[in-house]
Amino acid sequence: MRVIDWVVLGGSLVFIVTYGVWRNRHHRDMQSYLLASRQMPWWAVALSIMATQASAITFLSTPGQAFADGMRFVQFYFGLPLAMVVLSVTAVPIFHKLKVFTAYEYLENRFDVKTRALAAFLFLIQRGLATGLTIYAPAVILSVLLGWSIGITTAVTGALVVLYTAWGGAKAVNETQLQQMIVIMAGMFLAFVVILRLLPKNVSFVESVAVAGALGRLNAIDLSFDWTNRYNIWSGLIGGFFLALSYFGTDQSQVGRYLTGRSVAQSRLGLLFNGIAKVPMQFLILFVGAMVFAFYQFVMPPLFFNPVEVNKVKSGPLKGEFTALEQQHAEAFAKRRQAVERFIRARRSHDAEREARARAELKKADDQVLLVKAAAGDLIKENDKKADRRDTNYIFLRFVLDYLPAGLVGLVLAAIFAASMSSSSAELNALATTSVVDVYLRFIHKDGREAHYVVVSRLLTVFWGLVAVAFAQYASRLGTLIEAVNILGSLFYGTILGIFLVAFYVKRVGGDAVFWAAILAEGLVLWMFWKTKVSFLWFNVAGCLAVVVLATLFSLVSSRFPREHANPSD
Amino acid sequence: MSPGENQNLATKESEEEPPPVLGTWPRLYAAVLLGLLVEIVLFYVVTRLFS
Repeated sequence: MRVIDWVVLGGSLVFIVTYGVWRNRHHRDMQSYLLASRQMPWWAVALSIMATQASAITFLSTPGQAFADGMRFVQFYFGLPLAMVVLSVTAVPIFHKLKVFTAYEYLENRFDVKTRALAAFLFLIQRGLATGLTIYAPAVILSVLLGWSIGITTAVTGALVVLYTAWGGAKAVNETQLQQMIVIMAGMFLAFVVILRLLPKNVSFVESVAVAGALGRLNAIDLSFDWTNRYNIWSGLIGGFFLALSYFGTDQSQVGRYLTGRSVAQSRLGLLFNGIAKVPMQFLILFVGAMVFAFYQFVMPPLFFNPVEVNKVKSGPLKGEFTALEQQHAEAFAKRRQAVERFIRARRSHDAEREARARAELKKADDQVLLVKAAAGDLIKENDKKADRRDTNYIFLRFVLDYLPAGLVGLVLAAIFAASMSSSSAELNALATTSVVDVYLRFIHKDGREAHYVVVSRLLTVFWGLVAVAFAQYASRLGTLIEAVNILGSLFYGTILGIFLVAFYVKRVGGDAVFWAAILAEGLVLWMFWKTKVSFLWFNVAGCLAVVVLATLFSLVSSRFPREHANPSD
Repeated sequence: MSPGENQNLATKESEEEPPPVLGTWPRLYAAVLLGLLVEIVLFYVVTRLFS
């Protein structure tokens, strides 16, 4: 990192935090603090929704995901536009009309207080932990850049976000998200342009894409059906639909975003814009990863992208073995490089048979590189039992630090920090809102003044910031962050969604039936997670359907049972 | 409030404020879904061309 990079990075962060605190320092009532007075236009709602979902994990881990596993992850988002339409038709008008602060308030209106409390409780657990992952991602960067421990860097990152979120509430979240999205988009676009310019001059863009494709990195669509395959079009459309419906319809970190819209139409337009823009945006971020992969076919990549773990192993007893692996890696890379050149020449010859042969040789050469890389991962694990043998989260970061020009490194890192701050601030705001409205105000202190609840909201924002920072200490053991955060969400979202679907559509079901159905459904999802190999996207479908079916059954049984019990002779 | 009432609320709100483009909400919803279909087809073409 050069001085100009530190200036760009530091300047962006200080400006965003100061702006968030200064512009929104006066809040006297809950409506203003928790929902920005419900005055936001559709474009601010749309930016806020997108910025909340797109955390630093999106920009750090997603390109790495494409590098390691190809672009099939894009299918995960196919259910999202469908969910945006369904929510625009159903949830948005209802939440607006009832003027609720949280989605869970509606459940008491429809069922009873225990169902509201259960849904709020599941949300608080899930989101409290997931915010830890959101804060962890940029802390990784600071850790790499400064050589500090993850514990210190998560604390620093968390403190920055807590500062302006606790001070400025929802309005600070929304207003800073606008600037954050500008930084994010500028950073990713410029990074993409630079990657294209770094590709060899004698190799065209299409040929670079073809190399990535030949090695399976442009596998955007997989039509096969397999319950255990995480990403195919069916899990994306069906499982992704249920996940998006749960996330945007029942997770307060998103519901709170579109409740800030000044009318039903403005909130709807915000959601629908997200439905249109999200899939292409994710495709482009994955494509950046595929192009980084193509770049490293011509320039030798590090054997292992996480420099912290590499330094550890090189300063320990396994140093000799790691150095030997680095030598093997260099040889395997040289052979693959030759295979890449043969493949490009074969393509230029327009001889299909020759191209197929060259493609097979290239694949074989790549397999050798992957074998050495896997051995390096094992060595890293052997050296430190707590270390992650995968380096996916570090690929894009390492590329940025090693190859982007001065100034742009700072901008891309600022984009990653901005993404983290935009998500975690909205999440902390949602956690504080739910804790105050659904727990504190409902069960502990009903008749306080508005100013009192604003103070409690601020304190709870700080509390949830501390919980998130504490959980972030364990995030390094969870593998690919973008998957970890979605797996965690999928453990709870299906059940919460089931409760809301019953509330919206199954008229005859009451509070008791849906409450016990939700408890059993959550047990089923946790059992699937621990005891089966079913892909996590299906947890959302299973949890949701279990609540709907069981609640309907319980309702039928309970409506028959009292009559029979009361009149056994009938 | 019953689900029937919920849906009445939704319908009433839709009628009150039309979207800024395409005239009606159902048309805008259809456009979003059509956009998704086009994206899937394009991605499929990319997959077939390069994989």
